[in-house]
Amino acid sequence: MAPDDHSNSKQQGIDLPAPTSAPFVCAFGVTLIFSGIVTNWAVSILGFVLALVGAIRWWHEVLPDNQKECIPFQSERPIVKPKVGGVAHLMTADSPHRARLPMEIHPYGAGIKGGIAGGIVMAIIAGTWGVVSHGSVWYPVNILGSTILPTMQGDDAAQLAQWHTASFVFGILIHAIMSSLVGLLYGIILPMVPHFRLAFSAIAIPLMWTGLTWASLEVINPLLQNEINWLVFIGSQVGFGITCWFVVSRSERIGTMQNWSMLERIGVESPNVPPIGGDE
Amino acid sequence: MTALDHSGNPLRAKATFLGRMHEWVSTADHKKLGVMYVTTGLLFFLIGGLEATMMRWQLAVPDSSLLSPSDFNRLFTMHGTTMVFLVGMPILLGVANYIIPMQIGARDLAFPRLNAFGFWLFLFGGLLLYFSYFGAQGLYGMGSSPDVGWFAYAPLTERTYSRGHSTDYWILGLLVSSFGSIATGINLITTILTMRCPGMTLMKMPVMVWVMLIDAILIMIAMPPLAAAQVMLLFDRLMGAHFFDVQGGGSAILWQNLFWFFGHPEVYILILPAFAYVSEIIPVFCRKVIFGYPLMVAATVSIGFISLGVWVHHLFALGLSPMVNTIFMGSTMLIAIPTGLKMFNWVGTMIGGKIRFDTPMLFSTGFLALFLIGGLTGVMLSVVPFDWQVSDSYFVVGHFHYVLFGGLVFAIFAAIYYWFPKVTGKMLSETLGKWQFWLLFIGFNLTFGPMHVSGMLGMPRRIYTYHADRGWELWNMLSSIGVLVQIAGVTFFVWNVIQSLRKGKDAGADPWDGWTLEWATTSPPPEYNFEEIPKVYSCRPLWDLKHPEDPDWKYE
Amino acid sequence: MTTLKAQSMTVQAPPEPKSQLLNSGKCGMLCLIVSEIAFFGTLLAVYLFYIGKDPVGTIAPSDVLDVSVAPMKVVFNSIFLLTSSIWITLAVRCLARGNIMGFALWWLLTILFGAEFLVGTGMEWYGLIAVEGLTIRTNLFGSGFFTVVGFHAAHVTIGLFLLSLVFVLTCLGKMHKRHAEKVELLSWYWHFVDGIWIAVFTIVYILGN
Ligand code: HEM
Ligand SMILES: [Cu+2]
Repeated sequence: MAPDDHSNSKQQGIDLPAPTSAPFVCAFGVTLIFSGIVTNWAVSILGFVLALVGAIRWWHEVLPDNQKECIPFQSERPIVKPKVGGVAHLMTADSPHRARLPMEIHPYGAGIKGGIAGGIVMAIIAGTWGVVSHGSVWYPVNILGSTILPTMQGDDAAQLAQWHTASFVFGILIHAIMSSLVGLLYGIILPMVPHFRLAFSAIAIPLMWTGLTWASLEVINPLLQNEINWLVFIGSQVGFGITCWFVVSRSERIGTMQNWSMLERIGVESPNVPPIGGDE
Repeated sequence: MTALDHSGNPLRAKATFLGRMHEWVSTADHKKLGVMYVTTGLLFFLIGGLEATMMRWQLAVPDSSLLSPSDFNRLFTMHGTTMVFLVGMPILLGVANYIIPMQIGARDLAFPRLNAFGFWLFLFGGLLLYFSYFGAQGLYGMGSSPDVGWFAYAPLTERTYSRGHSTDYWILGLLVSSFGSIATGINLITTILTMRCPGMTLMKMPVMVWVMLIDAILIMIAMPPLAAAQVMLLFDRLMGAHFFDVQGGGSAILWQNLFWFFGHPEVYILILPAFAYVSEIIPVFCRKVIFGYPLMVAATVSIGFISLGVWVHHLFALGLSPMVNTIFMGSTMLIAIPTGLKMFNWVGTMIGGKIRFDTPMLFSTGFLALFLIGGLTGVMLSVVPFDWQVSDSYFVVGHFHYVLFGGLVFAIFAAIYYWFPKVTGKMLSETLGKWQFWLLFIGFNLTFGPMHVSGMLGMPRRIYTYHADRGWELWNMLSSIGVLVQIAGVTFFVWNVIQSLRKGKDAGADPWDGWTLEWATTSPPPEYNFEEIPKVYSCRPLWDLKHPEDPDWKYE
Repeated sequence: MTTLKAQSMTVQAPPEPKSQLLNSGKCGMLCLIVSEIAFFGTLLAVYLFYIGKDPVGTIAPSDVLDVSVAPMKVVFNSIFLLTSSIWITLAVRCLARGNIMGFALWWLLTILFGAEFLVGTGMEWYGLIAVEGLTIRTNLFGSGFFTVVGFHAAHVTIGLFLLSLVFVLTCLGKMHKRHAEKVELLSWYWHFVDGIWIAVFTIVYILGN
């Protein structure tokens, strides 16, 4: 089939393809051909005849040329009118819209340093608790180590109070890694917190972290649930938070590229040089 | 329907009932065909909904014996097949039929008669499928409608296990209607590629046109393999070939691969139109241009590509090699990226906009929320070990209803509320529309939310009943109650359509202050759409006309 | 729309838009061919998948299809089908130049060559079914062979039917130079049928052995 040419032959109307029942008849025939397979071959024969009749009619419609019908113009004509009143433009990058991007950040190293400092404070608090409640500094270390050492997972409080070399190594390692990573996170997030950064570090994050640990402990090491004193746990987190906040916020801030233009960011232009062609 | 009839037209025969029937049967007008597509789709939607209601009624309480196991099998088979092939497909083709030519400033599709042919094939195919209820008695007096599930896994479909003709009806009905879909798909591609009005370059097409182009391309590529697979199955059943006959050396796994090679693109064929509708509606109701047009286009194209390469995620539980599973896990997760991108673009369009929550926008927002959940459970399912746990359970049922019902059907309602004024010249009632939305939204979540839980608790899909001691009672009861709420919602819709057709407010040419070309002509449009083929200079031709002091083409 | 154009013009004339050139007939035929390729691709993929999966002892492709044993049958037929593509191109060229007589002759030649192929396929099938005893129910090879080759033959048949229709119209004097484009589309379909045969031949007769 060739495309139908919708040309505007006479001025009072428009040529459109003429209505035709050929597709209907042809489609019905085709369906009957298939239906015959599950009913009776005679149905298929009938279908074939119908499909052929439909097809021949169809060819008459399009061969040698497509049949047209002229539709007269309707009286009603739509008009699109210009609107009164100006068009509001969205605020652009000059007046940031609901986005709070840090213009200045702490260096990443400060976060790691803060994490390590906080980790030491945390270890002191936990160690003190170990000595006071179980008479052993190793107790908290072992709790940490036992989360990944399968051999220790069934240990009771008495066993946890003893010295385990492997547990010590892994416990300290886990603590160091976690502390510096969390510290790094603090360092990145703190500049984005609008207000109350101390409360954020000393209360919000420790509580969230404790909740996360508490909820996931069942998966990590279910036996530990009775071994942990959650109050002390929160206390040590708070210690970490305050120390980390202290170290991070004392560090020197450095500017980000947020307010640089695209050309400056790509490195085609240097910052602080007025962009070509004035401001955009 | 009266509203669509341009009476007062001196050339037309008098509008007797028969005359009018003849007019509809012999029409080659894309608008009439579009209306017929959508109307038949909605009728099948009611039938499919009835089937679902019966299933939920049976499952509301444990150890129920309302339906026999074999009746239940027939119901879920017909429900799934109906909803995908006889509701989703015709409605998406129908809306495209009606709207696409108008949006690109054309007078019809490229092949108007082929368009009519496609519609009638679809309709007769659907009727043939439903005729199985009467005609599938077959050889042994067994079976009525098909009962092999919408994906008809071999060897259950082979002669040995499926006696009589019910499965043949499934094959033939779908075969006929998919011929129609392929024809219309090709028609749409050609229309979009060759019939755009002057000035409408590819990158000035409305987003909907882009999305439907990709959709039609998927139809063209993915539906023929299904036809081929079905033909092979038919040869197995009728002539004793051995393609999927495991006793004769055939492979059941091959059928699964072939089916899902079609099946996964098919689910994207169904969801892309939903993307198309909300991409038109959200900007208009936020009074902002769509956010990230080029990204939207790129995401659509890449969804089209990727969706052809993820089908094995339906076969994770089959025991394929870890290598294969991992590869398809990766590709499946990949598809979430362009999909997520679109979510952000819609939300980006809403941010800072002057949002009007009319019913079309309400449904579009509902779409965003529900489709998001469906997409997230999809990503969960793409994780192989998780999928092993919940495959073939109600969790999967929950997933695909969130994407298909919460996604597609909500978007379809948005589209109906949006374009009904254009099609009929009457507004749908906003009050009834809001009632419908909230009932449907609540009922939908009540029905399909709990399915995630019952699925996690191990309830397999497609079981006709369950014992009381499994802890599934509450969740099933909730799901069934939700259905009642949804029925109320749909009733509001039907009532709304009837009422508005009879005495709805007059819509005028452009009730929503739209920007695409369909709003530049009368409602309902004349048969020739545009007296003079429009010229466009930007993505939003009507914006340019309405705001001559600040037209879009200055920025594009 | 006249009114609005005037209004937009008053402000500032936008650049005059360009219109497109792509032709719907060609685009539609290309799409049809793509979907047909998807259809045959599936059949051929299944055929490939089942190569060599039959139990030993049943009829194997090498028993009946070996090109080196019976070259005359298939290769001969294939040459007829493939060369018909040349004749149809020549025919379309004649029509485009308005040479109706030349068109009719080349067109007839195309039909004859296509028909020869169909007869050849029929004879091959007769030999396989009646002499060798291979049917669609024999084994996987039989199922695949008759389905793939059968669908191809069906497409050749449809093609021949349409070609004959055009030929009849030509004889009735209804074909003119301005129909060259419609006829060219038909020739594209015919080229596609030929192209698919190359794939079928390669997979069924060469790789399958
Ligand atoms: C974010 C993108 C998506 C991902 C990652 C995804 C993933 C999956 C996976 C892995 C399954 C197989 C579950 C199983 O059977 O064990 C599945 C099933 C399904 N998905 Fe999705 N999906 C996504 C989006 C969609 C969309 C948009 C639709 C349709 C509109 C859809 C419809 C379906 C259907 C119908 C099934 C079940 C088919 C059946 O077994 O009957 N999915 N999906
Ligand atoms: Cu999928």
